[in-house]
Amino acid sequence: MAVAQPALQKKICMLGGFSVGKTSLVKRFVSSVFSEAYLTTVGVKIDKKTVDLDDRAVNLILWDVAGEDDVSTVKMSYLRGSAGYVLVADGTRLSTLEVALSLRGRVEAELGPLPFVLLLNKSDLKDEWAIDDAKMEELRQTGWSVRASSAKSGEGVEDAFRELAVRVTAKQ
Amino acid sequence: MTALPRDVADALQSVTHTQRALAYLQVDGEHRLIGAGGNLDNYGLGAVQLGGQAIDQAVFLEGLLPLPETPFLLPSIELAGGRAADLHFYAHDDSIWVVLLDVTAERDQARRIQQKAYEMTLLQEKERLLNRRLEAANAALRTTQLELEASREALARVHQRVQAELAEAAGYVRSLLPPPMSEPFAVDWRFVPSTELGGDAFGYTWIDRDHFALYLLDVCGHGVGPSLMSIAVLDVLRAGSIRDVDFRDPRQVLGALNERYQMRTDHDLFFTLWYGVYRPASRQLDYGCAGHPPAILMDVDTRSVQLLKVKGTPIGLAPGISYARGTVAVPANSRLYLFSDGAYEIECPDGTTMKLEETVDFLRQPAADDASDLDRLFEHLMQRHGGVRLDDDFSIVRCSF
Repeated sequence: MAVAQPALQKKICMLGGFSVGKTSLVKRFVSSVFSEAYLTTVGVKIDKKTVDLDDRAVNLILWDVAGEDDVSTVKMSYLRGSAGYVLVADGTRLSTLEVALSLRGRVEAELGPLPFVLLLNKSDLKDEWAIDDAKMEELRQTGWSVRASSAKSGEGVEDAFRELAVRVTAKQ
Repeated sequence: MTALPRDVADALQSVTHTQRALAYLQVDGEHRLIGAGGNLDNYGLGAVQLGGQAIDQAVFLEGLLPLPETPFLLPSIELAGGRAADLHFYAHDDSIWVVLLDVTAERDQARRIQQKAYEMTLLQEKERLLNRRLEAANAALRTTQLELEASREALARVHQRVQAELAEAAGYVRSLLPPPMSEPFAVDWRFVPSTELGGDAFGYTWIDRDHFALYLLDVCGHGVGPSLMSIAVLDVLRAGSIRDVDFRDPRQVLGALNERYQMRTDHDLFFTLWYGVYRPASRQLDYGCAGHPPAILMDVDTRSVQLLKVKGTPIGLAPGISYARGTVAVPANSRLYLFSDGAYEIECPDGTTMKLEETVDFLRQPAADDASDLDRLFEHLMQRHGGVRLDDDFSIVRCSF
């Protein structure tokens, strides 16, 4: 008989440009809700969600970090102690992918290689989609985990967080 | 640096405590919570218990301990319950003090400003995107317009060429028509091809010294194909060249043509034909009719008319058809008119179509001037049509006996 191990707790940061849907993804994941209203994040908003893996539960402490814009950059101090992060870009705004890639470089320079998932969000807006399949494939070729997601429909959200939970607990 | 006087420092602490909802946690080296105080309820931390693991009770500490350096600040952290706090970390006597100061009002103020700025930026991004799409759509539209103009020019060139070919074909048909004659009786005609060139053709010729053949045919449809067929039939009738056929007998002529020009072997073309043979000695006219409008025989003195028509299907519809023959006595001072449906089936501007009776009545009217009744009829039809050109060929032959 397998004995359940005690729950782990891991800090996960949500990173990306402004208005890419980081807060909406967290709400979808934590509360299974979505709102069309846009409310910008200042500083950090912290949430918690327990994910049941095969052999144990993991408490994900989600740090929804304010998006990066032309004026203010993400404070790297917020990432201290992160086990992994979710990199988010808006699939309808190509410029946000550049912001996400820039952030990834800075995180790696500051904290070393950490597990992350790249989400190309707002996949429900097919008519406005600006990132072609070739670009997504090019990103995957680097070995990254790249997914299309939609906080509105829920596409890819649960799977992305679950995948990250598995990866950040892999060596526990 | 001079220290603040005791009473000033106490006043500042009092202000911070009340206005910033000061709260604190004290964590030892084993990450156990060993102290807590202040407005903990403000941050949803009212239930913390000393002695337990700090990160289990204050989840925002996950990953932060131990701190490599202090003091350390994490600004504007929204905790459970929606309050935002600046988290200040200080090391003191082998423990870490986490001081929470409420910045919810400042956070909300910053959010309002940031919200406006982001919404403006998003609008500008959307505007730029829309402009790019608009430019792309305009470019595509310009390309399509150029292609359309090129197609239109090509179409115009083709149209001009077709018109030239049709005019050439009409000219050729006209060259095959016999000239008007005046002896021993007068024969005159008018032939005005339509824009699209119909399949009208006619002719008259002496079969022998006693028999005068006259005919008018109309091949279905418009264009070069029907015109070529009318020329071929005209050639046969002019030459009187069908083996074992007596061209003095309309029944034989119509029957022989029907066997020769079946539509299933002639590109689905068929034609109507009025064919008559006049014997001047006896003033008798034998005639046959293959689905063609009747000829009009008018006594000029009495203005009475006879419509010369016998039953007969158009030529080419089916083989093995027998045609009837009519015979009529031709009064002195009479006129015979042969024509196709283009001489009466005229589309009028009010949507109605002229009937044969109107043409018959028109021809019966005595001429008010010296103009030919054929020209007057054409003018009348043009007026009734209300257009520059008629939709069908106008062909009419008049014999004055």
